[in-house]
Amino acid sequence: MRAVIVDDEPLAREELFEMLQAYPELEVVAQFGNAIECLKNLKQLQPDILFLDIEMPQVSGLELANMLDSENAPAIVFVTAYDQFALDAFEQNAVDYLLKPINQQRLNKSIQRLQERLARNDGGQEQAQHSYQNMLKGQELKLIPCYFQQRVKLVRLEDIEYASSDVSGVHVTTKNGTYHTQLTLKVLEEKSSLLRCHRQHLVNVEAISEIAMEDNGGAQLFTRSGQQLPVSRRYFKSIKQHFGL
Amino acid sequence: MILSDFSLLLSLAQQMSVFLVIAYLLSKTPAFLPLSNLSPRLPNTFILYCLFSGFCILGTYFGLAIDDAIANTRAVGAVLGGLLGGPVVGILVGFTGGIHRYFMGGFTDLACAISTTLEGLVGGLFHLWIRRRSSHNEHLFSPSIAFVATLLAEALQMLLILLIAKPFEQALHLVEVIALPMLTANSVGAALFMMMIRDRRHLYDKFTSHSSAKALNLAQRMVGTFHDGFKQADAIRIANIIREETGVSAVAITDTQQVLAFTGLGEDHHKANRPIASKQTHQAINENKIVFADGVEEPYRCSSSDKCPLGSSLVVPIRGGENEVIGTVKLYESKRRLFLHINRALGEGIAKVIAEQVRESQVQHQQQLLTEAELKLARAQINPHFLFNALNTISAVVKRDANAARQLIADLALFLRVNLKRNQQTTRLSAELEHVNAYLHIEQVRFADRLVIKQDIAEDFLQLELPTFTLQPLVENAIKHGTAHLLETGEITIYSRVHNGIKQLVVEDNAGLYEHPDQATHEGLGMHIVDTRLRNAFGSHYGLSVECQLNQYTRVIISLPREPKP
Repeated sequence: MRAVIVDDEPLAREELFEMLQAYPELEVVAQFGNAIECLKNLKQLQPDILFLDIEMPQVSGLELANMLDSENAPAIVFVTAYDQFALDAFEQNAVDYLLKPINQQRLNKSIQRLQERLARNDGGQEQAQHSYQNMLKGQELKLIPCYFQQRVKLVRLEDIEYASSDVSGVHVTTKNGTYHTQLTLKVLEEKSSLLRCHRQHLVNVEAISEIAMEDNGGAQLFTRSGQQLPVSRRYFKSIKQHFGL
Repeated sequence: MILSDFSLLLSLAQQMSVFLVIAYLLSKTPAFLPLSNLSPRLPNTFILYCLFSGFCILGTYFGLAIDDAIANTRAVGAVLGGLLGGPVVGILVGFTGGIHRYFMGGFTDLACAISTTLEGLVGGLFHLWIRRRSSHNEHLFSPSIAFVATLLAEALQMLLILLIAKPFEQALHLVEVIALPMLTANSVGAALFMMMIRDRRHLYDKFTSHSSAKALNLAQRMVGTFHDGFKQADAIRIANIIREETGVSAVAITDTQQVLAFTGLGEDHHKANRPIASKQTHQAINENKIVFADGVEEPYRCSSSDKCPLGSSLVVPIRGGENEVIGTVKLYESKRRLFLHINRALGEGIAKVIAEQVRESQVQHQQQLLTEAELKLARAQINPHFLFNALNTISAVVKRDANAARQLIADLALFLRVNLKRNQQTTRLSAELEHVNAYLHIEQVRFADRLVIKQDIAEDFLQLELPTFTLQPLVENAIKHGTAHLLETGEITIYSRVHNGIKQLVVEDNAGLYEHPDQATHEGLGMHIVDTRLRNAFGSHYGLSVECQLNQYTRVIISLPREPKP
């Protein structure tokens, strides 16, 4: 099993790393000091397990979990010192969570549970029902971590005009520029108010200034900052519905 | 018939005495008030005119007929009228008196009529002259000026008699006889008259200023005397203040059941902590009204001793927030003294001030309790997160560096000890810093190179007293709501400075994420409590202020008084 540790405290990472050495079947492939770094590398690392601290700068562990594509997301174990709200939520659903300082017996149990879950997934293609996802359901994304040259920019959802995917990945466009993000269009569609207007495009309906109909049943959208976006016939209906056309 | 100079003077003095007696009697009536307050308004001027014209006419009537002329004290009215009322009033008074004199006839009738009018004018000119020389009106009431003015006016009259009255020989003879007595009697009379007005004025001033000073003094001394509702210790202090300020024979304060304090005459048998015995007090409490036993028609009878020297009492109920009686203030006078009217009025005021103070202290007490409760809540809320993270850090360090782990445990112990100690209200900055540093050290180990801490506190700040738990929540906020949100390195700086002469402690972070907090949020609550406690301790000039530059810095500034409250 490939595991990744995300925690903003170096000592806490080290501590967990050392404890995980006791499980030969588990390999810690990377450690990150914040959620954004983790998100950036997640696709490439393809871990099975994420050990996620909850309180982290800018993007919390819960928000990171919210940004993951539910279909091929790793199993998540929250590691927290004290987060009454999160614990209350998880308690109902027996999700994996660990309390700091971590107790080795409790960790044993957790690893065991993870192994069972992963084995089941490999076998019957059974979709892992991450119960934290029930909790996250309906939780809107507020910030989209994006990469712009060497810097990380946290783009606020309301600033986005549209999001598109192409061969190089997913991009969000604001009136000030276009940024690359690790989030998938599917996650953006599910976890935000962005509306799909094309197989490759989501649009922020708040940013639409003009809709130009086309003969083939499709349309072109113009955003407030004057950018153009195609609408395919298949998704035009939902756009029209939104505006009551 | 020719009288000798001396007997004429004597007779004029007699006239003057009658005059002065009338003036004295008048001074006891409200009609006299306009004389002493110099208002330029019309009713006042009118009264002045009537009064002094009256004196003028009376002066003529009381005069002695001499040689077909009248030796008189008319000039007093005219000159004083002019002096107090100005030239217009003076001329009018003089003219009225002059006309009246004219119709009395005699060979000086015309001369006297003109001269009386001019005498009024002389008084009026003096009025103008004094007013021009000084803004202070007190000189208008100077007896010596009245004396000089009248002397001049009378001399003028003598001159006019000589000039106008015919035949000249008769006039000359008349003047020889009456000049000296009239000059003397009128001038002295005017001076005495003015003295009476001035004394009356002073008495009035003194009386009003004395009683208002008394009331102010009382109110001022009673402010803040109640610390905690309506308690005995406060009552004793108040009773003493009231007795000192009012000078009554004895003062008692009761609640609705028993005497809380008694001070003054009869202390030997009127004791505190006894149930209320007097009829009047019960009546005041039950009927919620002021009960006065004046000692004449209704005597105050002490219920515990026949030899009690107290003869009269005033019982004023103290009303609480719902206008219900919560106690009484009692003022007593001994049998040998009269109950002063002013003390009666003060008594009612005192009860109001006490009620106000009790109410305020209750509110303040509630506020304080609330703040304390909030403080406890804040402490309780702050702990768990930090505590578990600290334990996790120690757990991680313990294998690598036993000494470092031991130091962390010591820090945590110190931090917890201060946090759990709840009875201490204030502390020295040095102790508060120790607490903060224990906390910061743990955070420093937790965040390692993601957190940089700087400290620069001037030596002379270290002994300052401040409410416990002032700095710690601010430092904690700076990390929790500030640097913890930074992906790059966070920087916390704690420093002292003197800004516009005010000592300040500043907690600064490099995140600049401060938003004006909602009081409902925990962050807002923490700052609010710190601010409230600072204001409670040092006054409303002190407390917290925040400077924030978005994404640059947040500075939370604690302003402390130059001289710390002991």
